[in-house]
Amino acid sequence: MEQTKKKIKEILINDLKIPGITPEEIADEAPLFGEGLGLDSLDAVELVVLVQKHFDVQIADMDEGQKAFESVNALAVFILERRQ
Amino acid sequence: MGEAKTVFISGGSRGIGAAIAVNLAEAGYDIWLNYRSSAAQAEAIRERVEELGRTCILLPFDVSDEKAAVDALSPLLEKQVPFGVVHNAGIARDTLLPMMKREEWDQVIDVHLNSFFILGKLFSKYMVVKREGRIITLASLSGETGQVGQVNYSAAKAGLIGASKALARELARRNVLVNVVSPGLIETEMIGKLPLDRILPLIPLGRVGKVEEVAGVVRFLLSDDASYITGQVLSVNGGMYM
Repeated sequence: MEQTKKKIKEILINDLKIPGITPEEIADEAPLFGEGLGLDSLDAVELVVLVQKHFDVQIADMDEGQKAFESVNALAVFILERRQ
Repeated sequence: MGEAKTVFISGGSRGIGAAIAVNLAEAGYDIWLNYRSSAAQAEAIRERVEELGRTCILLPFDVSDEKAAVDALSPLLEKQVPFGVVHNAGIARDTLLPMMKREEWDQVIDVHLNSFFILGKLFSKYMVVKREGRIITLASLSGETGQVGQVNYSAAKAGLIGASKALARELARRNVLVNVVSPGLIETEMIGKLPLDRILPLIPLGRVGKVEEVAGVVRFLLSDDASYITGQVLSVNGGMYM
């Protein structure tokens, strides 16, 4: 779980290029979109592709994405559930 | 030019699609060539492309078949994302609407428009991550003006224009540019049955267009010179519609 969260944070910083922040500064419960980390709808599309690439987990549409992208924590739980 | 850029072309074995493939190979692009049934023609285009020193991957599948498209393209897209996508595949099933069969409507919408959903969704996902790319849709004069006997075709092509403009807005922030090339009467099998003697007087340039004259515009839209153009419809119709 901790490793998955760490990896997600690295993806957010390195691949989505969120500026001016380090992986350690991202709170597990911070919302990814809107007021939290400020990601937008195209970032969500990128995240879908990146999650598939790094974790081999498919997020089929925004019905699934909505829940998975609530926070780093939620995404880690989603990924781990899918990989079981 | 650094590493060669790659362009995917749907419906690339014949007509305008084939001309685009050859023209782009001349310009230094590697080609992913989709076709449905014309295997011999596709093979001939591949040879032309390879003679020009470029690579050409043949991708036979029906663009309106989502599973076939995903199965053919996903493994390639995992490794490489093309710089350009040319959404060209098309068919005509001309007849007056009162006589049109449901399947003639459905097939035309499937091959042009539902395939845009299938291919556009697939490619744009990866292009967004790459943060660059060009998508070029082939529409038609019929989609701009409407045409007798082509209620299905006109609807599909007009739909493509709207879809391309919407997608242009969606992807602009990731430097993926989406434009439409809208040919008028071009010398292909598709205009074989038309009464040209009656149509030519309606074309200010007084002749039908050549496939190369469409391909050249696609080439331009893929080039660095077109880096500030998105969401546009470039008509290539000899002035038939202004």
